Amino acid sequence: MLEGLVCQESLDMSVLERLKWLQQQQHQLQHVVSQSSNNSPELLQQILQLHGSNNDELLQGGFSQFQMIGSGFGPNYNMGYVPSHEAMDGCISRTSSCQMDPVDAMDVLLKNGEEDKPISLKNKRKAEVKTREEEKTEKKIKVEAETESSMKGKPNMRNTEASSKETLKEVSEIPKLDYIHVRARRGQATDRHSLAERARREKISKKMKYLQDIVPGCNKVTGKAGMLDEIINYVQCLQRQVEFLSMKLAVLNPELELAMEDASVKQAYFTNVVGSSKHSIMVDVPLFPLDQQGSLDLSAINPNQATSIEAPSASWETQSQSHYNTSSLGFQY
Amino acid sequence: MSFIKVLILKFSSLRTQTMASSDKTINTDVPEKDVFAIHFLQSLSNLTTQNPFNSPDTTNYRARKIKKAAYVSMAKAAGGSSRLWSRALLGRAAKENNKIVRFARRKRKVTWKISSKRRSDQRAPEATDRLRNLVPGGGTMETSKLMEETAHYIKCLSMQVKVMQCLVDGLSPK
Repeated sequence: MLEGLVCQESLDMSVLERLKWLQQQQHQLQHVVSQSSNNSPELLQQILQLHGSNNDELLQGGFSQFQMIGSGFGPNYNMGYVPSHEAMDGCISRTSSCQMDPVDAMDVLLKNGEEDKPISLKNKRKAEVKTREEEKTEKKIKVEAETESSMKGKPNMRNTEASSKETLKEVSEIPKLDYIHVRARRGQATDRHSLAERARREKISKKMKYLQDIVPGCNKVTGKAGMLDEIINYVQCLQRQVEFLSMKLAVLNPELELAMEDASVKQAYFTNVVGSSKHSIMVDVPLFPLDQQGSLDLSAINPNQATSIEAPSASWETQSQSHYNTSSLGFQY
Repeated sequence: MSFIKVLILKFSSLRTQTMASSDKTINTDVPEKDVFAIHFLQSLSNLTTQNPFNSPDTTNYRARKIKKAAYVSMAKAAGGSSRLWSRALLGRAAKENNKIVRFARRKRKVTWKISSKRRSDQRAPEATDRLRNLVPGGGTMETSKLMEETAHYIKCLSMQVKVMQCLVDGLSPK
């Protein structure tokens, strides 16, 4: 049962899933602890095995709990099991350089799940903050030797948390455990900076996914760098298109300028039209105090239908053409 | 001057639906084509009324003016001061014309990350830096904000390109 959980941990889970899994683990461990007091060596070995796959939130607290349990086990505990109470301190100091504290693991595993229960109800981020606060309060309760070891452990954690995200190895190889492997997993959760950085990175990746939907052809490329290149390329293309079209318009423009004779009329037209942003433009045209030219027939316009626009436009075109032919522009539709 | 009306008719008949953003947290809604069209035509008319080209200058000069007018109208149409890039564009254009544009003050988050980027210039020009150069106003933005602005900018640019293409199609001799 517990081994199965260990295998599950080797997959890459999100923080939320991991917290939920931890909570399950807590319940199971409580169950296990409550059941057997006779199988203390096996129990503790199993717990040690599980330790490697746990988060930092569990590892950093509840040493007092362990002490309690240690005293509870009494003679059984001291007899067959290697990390006895005295040896434990030695263990702690030995493992301070190594990133693992098996003692801490046991503490946390045996800790009650009451601290983790409200976690599942909260937000992911809040949960991690809460557990970090719990760690901090727990630290004060701890034995000094352990606090020293944990303090030594923490700066190492900060250094390596960003380095790799590989899976953990088993706890049984405590001294040979890869320094980077273990801490990366735990460091992801507890360090305030790393959490903030991870949240920021997730925000950025979310927005990049949104961009991916907009920019055509971004689906084939994976990875941030490739997508960014595509996006930059697309923006450059669009800007070049604008430039090209403006050049084209500049070529066509001399023909247009002569057509724009009545400046005042035009501006009045535009102010009227701009007033209604979303409506069809045809709605405003009847309001327009036009007709210094007087030849345009606006009564035939049906403002609310886009399809009927084509009909009046034809009449406009003919009338306008007749109007402008007199000025001999040579401007043709 | 009715050709403008005709063109506007064409735009309204080619009306596209508003682009609804699929992600509700990121709001990049862009107004419809008509708004862009109106602003652009207005700016064009302003251009030509200001400088009546009796003897046409070089086409390049006119092209540049039209391009500037296109960008300014795009910035106005996309929601004047509600987007960082549009404000930066308008500010840039105003500076070129030796005018001063004032916008309503907005809170500016100065992140320590940005200042650290400025200090270390040894970093190779990353993709995000290139993007900052492209998107107006992208010099002092957080990366996540930059992504939002880029998305909105791309939408507006494509809309502006469509409008200009319609205009060119309408005006080109048949």
